[in-house]
Amino acid sequence: MKAVILAAGEGRRLEPLTEVRPKPMLPVVNRPLLEHVVESVREAGIDEVVLVVGYKRERIQSHFGDGDDWGIDIEYAVQEKQLGTGHAVLQAEDRIEDTFLVLNGDRLIDASIVRRMREAPADGDTLIAITRTDDPSELGIVETEGDRVTGIEEKPPRHAITSEVINAGAYRFEPGAFDAIRDTETAGELAITATLDRLAADGEVRALRYRGTWLDVSYLWDLLSVNASLLNGSALDVPGTARLGKNAVVTDGVALDSDAWVGPSATVLSGTAIGANARIGANAVVENAVVLPDATIGSGVVLRDCVVGENARVGPNTTVEGGPADVVVEGTVHEGVGLGGVVGDNARLGGAVSVHPGTVIGNGTRVEGGAAVDGRIPSDAEVRRG
Amino acid sequence: MCGIIGYVGDADALPIVATGLKNLEYRGYDSAGIALRDGDLTVYKSAGEIDDLAVPDASTATCGIGHTRWSTHGEPTDANAHPHTDCTGTVAVVHNGIIENYDALREELSEHTFTSETDTEVIPHLIEEYREAGATLLEAVEATIERLEGSFAFGAVAADEEGIVAARRDSPLVLGRGESANFIASDVTAFLEHTRDVVYLDDGDVVQVGTDGVSITNGGEAVERPVETVDWEAEAAEKGGYDHYMLKEIHEQPRALRQALSGRIDELGGGVDLDVSLPAEYLNSMEEVQIVACGTSYHAGLYAAKLIERHADVRASATVASEYRFEGGRDPWRTLVIAVTQSGETADTLSAIRAADRAGAHTLAVTNTLGSTVTRETDDTVYIRAGPEIGVAATKTFASQVATLTLLSVFLGRERGTMSADTAGDVLSNLRNLPGAVQQALDRTGVIEEAAEEYGDGDAFFFVGRDLGCPVALEGALKLKEISYDHAEGFPAGELKHGPLALVTERTPVLAVLTEGSRPAETLNNVKEVESRSAPVIGLSSHPPAGKFLDTALSVPDLGVLEPLVANVYLQLFAYYVADMKGRAIDKPRNLAKSVTVK
Repeated sequence: MKAVILAAGEGRRLEPLTEVRPKPMLPVVNRPLLEHVVESVREAGIDEVVLVVGYKRERIQSHFGDGDDWGIDIEYAVQEKQLGTGHAVLQAEDRIEDTFLVLNGDRLIDASIVRRMREAPADGDTLIAITRTDDPSELGIVETEGDRVTGIEEKPPRHAITSEVINAGAYRFEPGAFDAIRDTETAGELAITATLDRLAADGEVRALRYRGTWLDVSYLWDLLSVNASLLNGSALDVPGTARLGKNAVVTDGVALDSDAWVGPSATVLSGTAIGANARIGANAVVENAVVLPDATIGSGVVLRDCVVGENARVGPNTTVEGGPADVVVEGTVHEGVGLGGVVGDNARLGGAVSVHPGTVIGNGTRVEGGAAVDGRIPSDAEVRRG
Repeated sequence: MCGIIGYVGDADALPIVATGLKNLEYRGYDSAGIALRDGDLTVYKSAGEIDDLAVPDASTATCGIGHTRWSTHGEPTDANAHPHTDCTGTVAVVHNGIIENYDALREELSEHTFTSETDTEVIPHLIEEYREAGATLLEAVEATIERLEGSFAFGAVAADEEGIVAARRDSPLVLGRGESANFIASDVTAFLEHTRDVVYLDDGDVVQVGTDGVSITNGGEAVERPVETVDWEAEAAEKGGYDHYMLKEIHEQPRALRQALSGRIDELGGGVDLDVSLPAEYLNSMEEVQIVACGTSYHAGLYAAKLIERHADVRASATVASEYRFEGGRDPWRTLVIAVTQSGETADTLSAIRAADRAGAHTLAVTNTLGSTVTRETDDTVYIRAGPEIGVAATKTFASQVATLTLLSVFLGRERGTMSADTAGDVLSNLRNLPGAVQQALDRTGVIEEAAEEYGDGDAFFFVGRDLGCPVALEGALKLKEISYDHAEGFPAGELKHGPLALVTERTPVLAVLTEGSRPAETLNNVKEVESRSAPVIGLSSHPPAGKFLDTALSVPDLGVLEPLVANVYLQLFAYYVADMKGRAIDKPRNLAKSVTVK
């Protein structure tokens, strides 16, 4: 059985990080979200994967190649324009002959549910994995009777939410689904859930209940919490090429990737992932942070609840004091979220910059030493001390 | 040069040999052929690409040899395609290399019927002679190689004997060891999807390959060669979603560079660990470094020579390998000669390094290929760890060569005490930031694609730069001419006014390297010269000058002496998109092959 993984999404709420990479390539524990999904699929005994790619697809293709590093076959189907998840699935049609799975490339899911979907007896029904959540807003609500799905609604308004049962974003279809998708009439984007809703109305959709890991990264701060929850309780493992300076303290619950370097007397505390070839300067303190590959954190820097982009440089004694903060995303205020700050890819922060909680600094932006920054600073901007 | 593959096992040989040839296509693609053996011998061969070779849909033969050709002796025709056979069609041979005494041998074999113009054909006929005198295929091959002058790696099969017999001298040949399946090939990529256990053969080795085992002899004596495990991924032989290997390899550069640098840098102490055995006393007494290389590797050598002079305070130069002699005025004991070759099989580079070795100089190889000939013929080897490169136009290996050679320059500087830990730390910090900077350039693909569209139909293209920007200008021009077939020239920016300026018109785009390390202020004066003759200018710079001089400005991150190397990424993409726009065969440009194993 093949698995089709949807990885063409842009993830605009995760800017600036998604300006240069597609959302599925955001890293948690030093591995892209998509790699976690691919590993679950492999663990579930599936060795043929079709990745539907589009936005910034070079990043995905260069990372996964033909799948040999994972011992599976990976093929690519290109979705040139983002016309919805249903449209994305259609792009894989000429690579599918039999019953197939569809998964989201940016949503972490256990191998167990993938395996159950693969092994469930074939009776012509479409399968959908469902789970429960405390806050079902902004998710797909699933209505069920027994194991029959009666309806699916995407992101209904809060007052219209009738159930805490949500769509976990994993499906099993028969090849006939392609025609059903094509026949689904929608006003705007062609969403796979619209087709599922229609199939459900005909009583052809069965639900599989699932209580395992289900982690979604919708906002920048989710990256920190998902990273931390996966690291929680893990023992420190220092790869052979990583280096720890004298008196450096690195606790459990920290992941160091190859050639990561922690300077003398630096302290790296749990919930932190340091990417390949990244460098933490002497005496720096890093806690609950996601540091992407090639980043340079200067001496004496304090980073709490912070995401530092690829190849960004944070000057000495800069302070990111940590969350909680109120952060505005696409015009909506999110109050009290755990985000100390985000430093975009290739950004350059001078020495002793003070980063207020919740600050989001764009890609390639330069911040002069000694400046205090707050709010959202666009990419490629120049910030002077004022 | 050519590619050969052979398979003996318990599976059908045809698909394995055909796929193997496909993987070797980068070594040549003007004709192809396959011989299958199952008690009978059937040969399929024709001029043209492997995909055009007419073979049956299926065959039950479990032993076969194949060949993909890049013509040296005789045009690419059906008759000249390999495999070549003896008079009775009982023996078939695929060969890579050049038999220098084939004329004499052909005269000697005048009673035999020759059907091609190739040097190779003497091999099956010699084997036939010995077999008629009662020799087995193995004995016949052993006797045959005694008669051959020149270079060869060949595989032979006979209708009436099981298995393959192969031999090599001065041309690459590796054995692949699988379960109930064994392979011979010019390069491991041919069989990497079946096994990673390989045996590198030495000069003079003759090997009998069967389903369950191999036996190697050299000069008639049985020898053992170690089995090594290759950690290259077979994915390298596949395009992974990209339209061309070249684009895939351009995008692999950040990863390749991280591998080149991994574990080799001590930024804090200003140290470099290259795992070479060059004693400190030798390095301190060293008076000169000579780099020998060809094509793109030569450009990497030019870049490195400048860095070595600066960092290690020693006279350094790069020489085109085919022009190299160990000339007078230097003490071989105090001269280090570095061979830079991606494949490790480049014939011109090998003969240069042999000349240096004969003169008594210490030799060092900088290569991408484990177990390649150059690694066995030099005193030391540093690997660039770029992973396999399939596109004929070298891209990621250039970046990895320059990065590795920069490490070497710091290593030499530190060992000789000519570079402070501080200065070394700065260069190493730039090196560490190199993968990220290259990624940054790759993220701006859209801009360069537009520039290629806008300027791609120019009459000619000129690439200029000074200092470290000069080798990059040469490399940028080489890439463009290799794959787009446009007239492109690179030269030192100051040379423009001494001649080439006469060619500059509004129809000749000029690409200028204006980064740190390329004396941008002076080069900008030359940019003004071409600007006033209405040529469009594409500038690559970390601190873009006043926009009015540039029609397109591409920004390069601050990276000290490595900025020109990042600028080169833009030039690679420019060449790619111009060639793509013109519908060129980007991975297989006409008349070119990847590693050139003929002089």
